[in-house]
Amino acid sequence: MADFFSWVDKPLDTHAVLNMIIGAVVILAFILGVVTYSIYFQRKLIGWMQWRIGPNRVGPLGLLQTIADVLKLLIKEDVVPEKADRNIFLIAPILAFFPSFMVLAVIPFSANHVFTAYSNVGVLYYIALSAMTIIGVVLGGWASNNKYSLIGGMRSAAQMISYEVPLAMSILGVVLMAGSMNLVNIVEAQISFPYVWYIVPQFLGFCVFIISATAELSRTPFDLPEAESELVSGYNTEYSGFRFAFFYLAEYVYLFAMSGLGATLYFGGWSGPFLPGWIWFGIKVTCFIFFFFWLQATMPRIRTDQLLTFAWKVLIPLSIVNLVLTAVLKYLLH
Amino acid sequence: MSEETKAPETKAPEATKAPEAEAAPEPVDPRIEQATERLEFLRGKVVAKFGEDVLEAAELKQFQPTITIKNQHWVEVVEFFKTEATLGFVYPELMAGTDYKDYIEVYVLLHSFTLDYDVSLKTRTPRENASIPSITPLFAGFNWEEREIFDLLGVNFPGHPDMRRIMLEDHWVGHPLRKDYVVEN
Amino acid sequence: MGEIRTEEMLMNIGPQHPSTHGVLRVVVKVDGEIIKEADPVVGYLHRGTEKLAEDLQYTQIIPYTDRMDYLSSMVNNHAIVNAVERAMDLEVPERAEYLRIIVVELNRVMSHLVFLGTYLLDLGAMTPFLYAFADREQVVDFFNRLCGARLTYNYMRVGGVKWDTPDGWLDDVKKFVPYMRSQMGMFHELVTGNEIFLERVKGIGKFDAETALNYAMSGINLRSTGFNWDLRKNKPYSIYDRFDFNVIVGENGDCFDRYMCHMNEIMESLKIVEQALEQIPEGPVMGKVPKILRVPAGEYYSAIEGTRGELGVYIVSEGKDKPYRLKFRRPSFINLQLLPQQLKGQSMANLIAILGAVDIVLGEVDA
Repeated sequence: MADFFSWVDKPLDTHAVLNMIIGAVVILAFILGVVTYSIYFQRKLIGWMQWRIGPNRVGPLGLLQTIADVLKLLIKEDVVPEKADRNIFLIAPILAFFPSFMVLAVIPFSANHVFTAYSNVGVLYYIALSAMTIIGVVLGGWASNNKYSLIGGMRSAAQMISYEVPLAMSILGVVLMAGSMNLVNIVEAQISFPYVWYIVPQFLGFCVFIISATAELSRTPFDLPEAESELVSGYNTEYSGFRFAFFYLAEYVYLFAMSGLGATLYFGGWSGPFLPGWIWFGIKVTCFIFFFFWLQATMPRIRTDQLLTFAWKVLIPLSIVNLVLTAVLKYLLH
Repeated sequence: MSEETKAPETKAPEATKAPEAEAAPEPVDPRIEQATERLEFLRGKVVAKFGEDVLEAAELKQFQPTITIKNQHWVEVVEFFKTEATLGFVYPELMAGTDYKDYIEVYVLLHSFTLDYDVSLKTRTPRENASIPSITPLFAGFNWEEREIFDLLGVNFPGHPDMRRIMLEDHWVGHPLRKDYVVEN
Repeated sequence: MGEIRTEEMLMNIGPQHPSTHGVLRVVVKVDGEIIKEADPVVGYLHRGTEKLAEDLQYTQIIPYTDRMDYLSSMVNNHAIVNAVERAMDLEVPERAEYLRIIVVELNRVMSHLVFLGTYLLDLGAMTPFLYAFADREQVVDFFNRLCGARLTYNYMRVGGVKWDTPDGWLDDVKKFVPYMRSQMGMFHELVTGNEIFLERVKGIGKFDAETALNYAMSGINLRSTGFNWDLRKNKPYSIYDRFDFNVIVGENGDCFDRYMCHMNEIMESLKIVEQALEQIPEGPVMGKVPKILRVPAGEYYSAIEGTRGELGVYIVSEGKDKPYRLKFRRPSFINLQLLPQQLKGQSMANLIAILGAVDIVLGEVDA
């Protein structure tokens, strides 16, 4: 394995650069496919849950529906509202999208491949970068010069900042257990002695994680920034065409990334018997994604003040308790 | 004043009409009897409090005691109906305005839970500079009704907290529910 | 740290907004997300029904009432024909009365199902909407078979109803009643116990019976405060005195009570439908009425318990075949008046919860 990550502690050479570029392009293509079909999956799944059929017109079983949608978005006029802050308005979706793609670098899709950064601060990197998306969202909401967008942007700032805290703290429990912030090492720690996925010792942490993750992803019941019935569409009300597609894409890339992170931290990532690692990873991620969609079809939306109270008064104390417990346990076992 | 005589007068055609439809014999419809009783009771209450002067008419409309009150006494009489303990007409049910070509009439239907029946109160205003004191301070439920009458019939309600048009745009000319309103294409 | 400078923001909720249930516009002044002032602006759907009615014969008015509260057209039909019949002292054949009760109560079920669906949609839950509409669809189909329309039925006539039931219709309705009951059990399981839902609606938009009476509220808005007032019981009309049903009242007058009242009223309506199906006699569905309806000169007011409250019709007649003045007491319009007081100091999210629970139909508000 060390060969693949040789560039980590060596000077850059052409070979490594080429590897990185190929890696990035492959991942980008791959992730677009994943997003396309998770949207399809979402629509089909929620359709079934709601006694509907879901998309079934474009292509066999509606499989090309999302592609058609994306094409439509791409050829739409790029409308910039007259009173919008033009430059910020234009750049905001890109700001929102880039970090979502960058965080994928540290998530190990399988045991061996060149595309994962063997970073010793993988967890930190993920959290730090994913926080940057907020800037894109807030700027987009502000620059649209639309009151709904503004409120949506502000809501998402409040929400994401609040939920970053319990999210990071719940992950710290895992980091403590594995003794590493490197996601690859975290997976490896789960497949070596005592051979248990961290979902078991870190169950409390996982609960906090999954709730915070739902909030971070702004998915029902925490979809306040885009609360359709209140804010029309929230921060992306004024966006159309491919800029809207960027926001949309960012949302679903994060969905995948967060699912990947969850699978890696608590379910042993690519580890599993018989099947190759990437299939195991895929299965676990799909389960996570399914869970999020399931929630979306089930839950009503929580209110802003309840949302923040919940984060600060329930989740953060819980995650601290989890952290302390983990530390004590770890100390006693050694 | 001739309210005393007027009330049975208007009642009379009704009384004959109803049995006619049922092809019933002579006796008066018990519903009319009951309604007359109620009307006399209510009328007596008003007269005892304010005297005859506030009344313009007290009559039955089908089976409904209906008391017409003079414009300038409108608020105090309605307030009396609401606050007087033995009456207790606290529930505003309906307010409607009608353009009668000579005058505009505002009709209010109140319900009393103590007496368990309705009373109709009316007042009139000339069509020019139509104005009736507002009873919204008494019954908040007439807020929009009065605005609607202002909008569609052009009756001003001094004392109303928020006298604006409600259905039509602010710059609309004319009041559609008036009989002489001309619809433009 | 110095004072943070804040500014109030004027926002237009509507007339084009997903949660105003039509073209209602609420101008709100918000401080952050807290509403300081709210001013509902109505009239975007004003079609002048009352003015139009002055040029129409009584039978011709019926289709116009369909378009007022378009979620419960049968009830509106009933309101106008009931008013004219009372004014003219007309007899309605038994079978027609029963058919009216059946369709009106089915319509109430249907309308409350729309409330259930849209209210949950307002609160961010999408699925109940589709479930409720799937069940509503069955009622719509019944009406479609009965009168050929899915939304604007124009089914009732002064003196009876237009059509007798098609073959097997009553049996199908009979089958629908227990099915709908079991569905209500499912809705309660899915929605009523949901913690987030309860958090969103309990104690929100509260008012007491006194306020409700002063604001002329009726229907569920009034009953949710614990005040027992249902025209079907208190001012009996048609043949409601023959059925055994309860008036559903709430306790606290909050959004949750209004939601529960809707849910329980569906059950009561089903009860009435069931009894009516058992009692319905054979016979004509149209009574003997004059070819041209002339309401005797005078003034008449009669009201029925509509889906959203007291649905009254005030007729001023000069003895002609057209009303001199026709006024509808439209419950949605009147129930909406309290909104500014209800909204003061609430957050944007509560605005949607409160407005949804008032259960307005803009066709009726604006008429």
